[in-house]
Amino acid sequence: MPQLIMADEDGVLEMLRDSVAAFAQGRPGPQSLRRLRGAEADLDLAQWQEMAAAGWVGLMLPEALGGADLGIRQQAVISHALGQALIASPIATASVLSSALLTRVADSPERQRLAAGLVQGTCIVVPAVTAGSDGEAVTARLLAGGVLLDGRRGFIEAARSASDFLLLARAGDEDLLVSVPGNAEGLERADRPGVDGGVISSLRLSNCLVAGERILARGDLRGMLEASINLARTALAAELAGIASQAFALTRQYTIDRKQFGKPLASFQVLQHRLVDLWAEAEFACSAVVNAVERLEQGHEREARLAVYAAKARAGDAAAFVGRQAIHLFGAMGFTDECDIGLYLKRAINLGAALGQPESLRVQFIQEERAA
Amino acid sequence: MSIDWNGLPDEEFRAVFRAWVLDNCPAELRYLRKQRPVYEEVEQWYQALAEKGWLAPVWPREYGGMGLSPAKHMIYVEEWGRLGCPRIPDHGISLTGPLLIHHGSEAQKTEFLPKIISGEHIWCQGYSEPNAGSDLASLRTSAVLDGDAFVVNGQKIWTTLAHCANWIFVLVRTDREAKPQRGISVLLVDMTSPGVEVRTIENLRGEADFCEVFFDNVRVPAHNLVGALNDGWTLAKSVLGHERIFLGSPTRAEYALDRLGKLASDRGAFEDAAFVSRYARLRLDLYDLGSSYERYAKVLRSGGELGADVSVLKIFATELYQRITEEMLTLAQEEARFNDDLLIEGGQIDAMNLFLDARAPAIFGGSNEIQRNILAKAVLGLPS
Repeated sequence: MPQLIMADEDGVLEMLRDSVAAFAQGRPGPQSLRRLRGAEADLDLAQWQEMAAAGWVGLMLPEALGGADLGIRQQAVISHALGQALIASPIATASVLSSALLTRVADSPERQRLAAGLVQGTCIVVPAVTAGSDGEAVTARLLAGGVLLDGRRGFIEAARSASDFLLLARAGDEDLLVSVPGNAEGLERADRPGVDGGVISSLRLSNCLVAGERILARGDLRGMLEASINLARTALAAELAGIASQAFALTRQYTIDRKQFGKPLASFQVLQHRLVDLWAEAEFACSAVVNAVERLEQGHEREARLAVYAAKARAGDAAAFVGRQAIHLFGAMGFTDECDIGLYLKRAINLGAALGQPESLRVQFIQEERAA
Repeated sequence: MSIDWNGLPDEEFRAVFRAWVLDNCPAELRYLRKQRPVYEEVEQWYQALAEKGWLAPVWPREYGGMGLSPAKHMIYVEEWGRLGCPRIPDHGISLTGPLLIHHGSEAQKTEFLPKIISGEHIWCQGYSEPNAGSDLASLRTSAVLDGDAFVVNGQKIWTTLAHCANWIFVLVRTDREAKPQRGISVLLVDMTSPGVEVRTIENLRGEADFCEVFFDNVRVPAHNLVGALNDGWTLAKSVLGHERIFLGSPTRAEYALDRLGKLASDRGAFEDAAFVSRYARLRLDLYDLGSSYERYAKVLRSGGELGADVSVLKIFATELYQRITEEMLTLAQEEARFNDDLLIEGGQIDAMNLFLDARAPAIFGGSNEIQRNILAKAVLGLPS
C-alpha cells in the first residue's frame, strides 16, 4: 500500500515505522481522538508524553539542545505513520515548527529551557507565529522591564495545554520572537471546536508584559520563519499522505469484504476503477512528499520551497479526496459517527487547511515560479 | 565504437549526447508539428543515428546497439524529447529488434537486425484488428501451414506507419481450437509479398499516421515464425520491459503546458485570478507527475525492475495532457472555432492540433481503462 519510498540503508526508517505501529497498537488513534472529543480537550497529554518518551517530540532538534538531530526524512516517515494510525497530535506544530524555530535562534538559557522541556514533554511549546486569516498581527513595545504585547493570533492548536507560546510580534521595523507563558497576564484565549474533535484557539494579548530574557530573536525574522513553516508543512503533508494511504487501505478492504448481489463490491469494475484512482492519489501524495524531503535535503532554497508547496497541496487534496470517496464507498455505514472512516476525512480537512490550504499554496507556487 | 556508455557518469553522458544531437539533428526537423513523420521525412536524422551507432539505444552492442542500461536509456529519451527531435519510425528498433534478440533464431537475428540498423527495413506492428482492440486475444487473422509456408488471411487495423513500412510483424491465429490466448503466433511478413494491401486512415488531426493492412492468401516462409508455434501471446507481452515507463513520460504534457503558458502570457490571462487558479492546478499536476516519474526512474537507475504499478503514470500523464489542451481552447475563447494555429506576438500556438492529438495517447498502448483493470488486479489485488 502507498508508502514513502526512500533509501534506508541503515534501517532507521523501517524502525521508526515499526515503532509508530507498535505505539498505535497500545493507543489506537481513533479511540484517543474520540476520547479527546468527549472531553472537549485540546491535547491528549498522556499520549503526547508517551510520544516524547518514544523520542518523536523534538526529533529534529540538535543534540546540543537534547534532540536526536534527525532530519526531515525521519520526521516525514514518522508523520506518515502517525497519519496512517490516525494518531492525532500537534506534532507538526508543537514539535516540528517549535523545534525549527528554537534551532534557528541564538543560544540563551530560555532557549535551553524550552528545548529541554519540549523534548521531555514537560513543556508544551506551541508556535503562535502565523497571522490569522483576519490579517491581524501582534505589536510589541520594548520597555525597560521587558516587552509589552498587543494584538491577536489565530488558529492555534493545544493552546489550553501550552506552557509557552512562541509568538512573533512586530516592534517598529523589526520582528521579535518571544516566548510567552501560557498563563501570562493579559493573555486571553478563545476556543472553537475543530472539525476532527480537537480544539483550535485564538489568542488576544492586551498589555501583556513578558520578561526581556524571553525574547529569543529579533531583527528580520522572515527567512527563519518561512524555513521553519516549510518544515512544518512537510510534516503535515506527510501526515496527510499517511491519512490518504490508510483511508484507501481501509476502503479497499471494506469493498473486498462487503458482499452485495452475491459478489464482493470490489469485483465490480466501476468500483475497481474508482479504487485505482484513490490509490493513485495516495501514491502521488507519497511521491510528492518524498520529492519535498529530497529537495529540502539538497538545500536549494527556492526549489525546496516549491516542492513543499506542491507536496502540501497534493497531500491535502489527496487526503480529502480519498476521505470523501471512502465515506461514499462505505455506504450508509460511512455516514455514521461510529465508523472510523469519517474521522480520517475530518482529520484530513483540518490538516489540509492548516498552514496554507491546497489552492493558496498552488497559487503561491505559480507566483514564485513566474517571478523567477 | 568502443566507448562503454554505461561507464560514463550520467551528466557526462547527457552532455555528450546533447552536443552530438545539436550538431546532427537538422534544425528544421526539431520541434516538428507532425507527431509521426514518415521515413523519407526524417531519413537524414535516421541515417545520422545509424552511422553513429546510436539508433538502437538498448540493443546489445553485438547487434549494433548502444547497450544502454535503463538508467542511461532514460537520459537518452529525456534529451531526445527535450531537444525536440522528431520521432522516427521506430517499431523495428523498439519492438522487432528486442523480439528477435530475445526470441528469434540465429538466422533471423543475422538476417533482420543489420537491416533495421541500416534503415533498409522499416517495420510496423500488426496487433489490433477490427474486432480485437483492447481484447487482443480475440484476434482472427489466420495463418495455416501449407508446405514450407504459412498462408495468412485477415485484416489488421490501427497499424501505425504501415504505409511507409516494408516489413510487418503480425500476431496470427495458428490454432482455432485452443483457448483465446493460446493458439496465437508471431510471423514476420515482407509487405511487398503478393496479397498484402495497405490503406491509410486519416485521423482527427488530418494526418494519416495509421493504416489498415489486408492479407489475402499471403504466403510467408515458415522460417519467419518467431519463437514456438502458438506461443505468440507470451512473446507479444514480453516485448515491452522497462520501456513501459515511457508511456507515462511527462514530455507531451510538458510541451503542451509550455504552449499554454505562452498563449496565456500573450492574452494577459495571468492577470485573471480564475485562470491562474486553473493554470496552477495543471502546473502542479505536471510538477507532481515529474516527482512520481522520478520515483520509478530511480528504481530503474538502481538496477531494479518495474512492477505493474508503473501503469499509473500512463493514466495520469495522458489525462493531464488532455486537460492542458482543453484549457488552451478555453483560453482561446471564440478563436477555439478555428482549425489553424492561434497567433501570438512573434509566433503561433497549435492549440487545436494539440487538443486533437491529446485524444490518442489515452487510447493507445492499452487504453486507460485497460490500465485501470491491470492496476486493480495486479497491484490492488481486487477480486474478479
